Amino acid sequence: MTGLLRRARLSIALQRWELALITAGSIGLAVVMVIVGNQAQAIAAAHPGCLDPNTFRAGCEAAMKEFDQVTDLGSKLLYFSYGAPLGMGLLLGVPLVAREIDHGTASIAWTLSRSRIRWLSWRLAFVAIAVAVLLALLGVTSERLAQALQPSLHLDADFTWYGRRGWLLIVRGLLALGIGLALGALIGRQLPALLVAILVSVAVFTAVSLGMDRWLESASVPAPFGVEVPGGMQLGERIALPDGRLVRFADLDPNQGYNIAIGPDGRVYASADANGVLSDPRGQVVDLIVPGSAYPTFVLRESALLGALALGSAAATAFVVRRRRPY
Amino acid sequence: MTDAVLEARGLAKRYRRGVWALQAIDLAIPAGGITALVGPNAAGKSTLIKTWVGFEKPTRGSAAVMGLDPWRQRFESLAHVGYVPQSPSLYDALTVEDHLAMAVQLRPSFDRAYAAARLDQLGIPRSAPARQLSGGQQAQVALALALGTRAEILLLDEPLASLDPLARREFLHVLTDAVRSDGATALLSSHIVTDVEQACDNLIVLGVGRVLLHDSVTDALATHSVSATPLPDAVASFAEADGSLLTLVRGTADRPATLEEIVLGYLASARTTSIAA
Repeated sequence: MTGLLRRARLSIALQRWELALITAGSIGLAVVMVIVGNQAQAIAAAHPGCLDPNTFRAGCEAAMKEFDQVTDLGSKLLYFSYGAPLGMGLLLGVPLVAREIDHGTASIAWTLSRSRIRWLSWRLAFVAIAVAVLLALLGVTSERLAQALQPSLHLDADFTWYGRRGWLLIVRGLLALGIGLALGALIGRQLPALLVAILVSVAVFTAVSLGMDRWLESASVPAPFGVEVPGGMQLGERIALPDGRLVRFADLDPNQGYNIAIGPDGRVYASADANGVLSDPRGQVVDLIVPGSAYPTFVLRESALLGALALGSAAATAFVVRRRRPY
Repeated sequence: MTDAVLEARGLAKRYRRGVWALQAIDLAIPAGGITALVGPNAAGKSTLIKTWVGFEKPTRGSAAVMGLDPWRQRFESLAHVGYVPQSPSLYDALTVEDHLAMAVQLRPSFDRAYAAARLDQLGIPRSAPARQLSGGQQAQVALALALGTRAEILLLDEPLASLDPLARREFLHVLTDAVRSDGATALLSSHIVTDVEQACDNLIVLGVGRVLLHDSVTDALATHSVSATPLPDAVASFAEADGSLLTLVRGTADRPATLEEIVLGYLASARTTSIAA
């Protein structure tokens, strides 16, 4: 057996239960996603032209109902793929160092290896590869499912199911792995570290999400109110003032917009009389949209941000492992 | 410069909770032989060994392994050290053979054949998972891992504490044989004097974080006596198992002291000093 294979086998053996659980869960989820995707494709193929949501065709009711049920199930599966990276990362990351400290094996391993960083690299490498491979599987199957549920979806230019499909799953999993790893090394006890890591991960991912919202807003453009922009991400409504500025309803009216009236033409009026006659037009309601063409840019940006945080977590772990006692 | 392989100069260690585990330890352990580090619980034995392994950073003073600072030069220092912790702490999920394979992965210079031969001599099945081994067998595996490093220095942190008498004897036999044949230096900490008496060449008695005695076993036995009556310039008096008082002196008295009596006398002297202080 080559050295690399032996290293992989030993590393996997040390976390075999977590890896078995995660592998079974990931493969199970991927298989179900493929089955549901195939069901959706089969319905679409059997009833061509029936599934356009903008067109009603007589005789399509049963097919549409069936497709809606599959879509509902598929959407739920995509929620699972959203949570999977967090669960996988923490379940593998927390015990990687914490269990060694908990069980006292770090004392032997850290004296045998001489370099704790070398030891950490060995332990981490194969686990990180396992996380990346399993999440790549989920990333691919989730995209396939999304495509089946929405045949008009342009995978690389559409914000639909953003963060629940594709390569983002991998980097989110690696960040969760890094957070679990760092806190496991710092706390040195598995259960407390897992609980803290869950809290910290939720906080980090929430902060990243809020940051991305700001980032997305900076790239948004106004679009006509109520008109669907295929592939775009709607961030909310704004009022376009005659001078070109975009303001929120609350910005326009200090009373949180309660005196604002919106006409059927989408115009915003500052007042309306008892008969419903609108007056004092102020601007036009518009939707704030991030065009689907920006999707690859934002996936790349978020991946880079999460990847940098994951590397930072790994570096923090290395620092802690170098400094801390093995007990 | 000295020819000592393990050194401590004014070494002191205080833990966060404010307890001084070691206080101004001065030691120089020369190459070769087995040195017993004896003392009661909380005497600082583990802390001293862990400082030489590089697990603990000295609060004051310095420690050295082959002239290297084990904290700052951990990588270089550990090249000279094989370590056996207090509990064997093996990987439950791995077989004995896996442990040897892992040792090779972690330390390419690990002598797998040598460690395997040691285990085979003891009839320890290498295909058995570690969790299925007895406490004595696990301790032997931990010792084999330390011996397989072929390090010049073996640091053993109370490896006998949890073993039954037969397993303790076997462990000491393997250790003695390995040290004698390889010319290594071993520091074996224990609070059971009778166990180490046969195996060790040198004795360090540690109490309340200080070195109370550092001598060869032969010299210690030759220069200490006990008396049933209190004597001036005695090391200390201590109670025997039957309640009678025995006084340890350097020099000649009623009869030569046993190693256990020497250790007890010095530990009693530390207690007296501590109370007086």
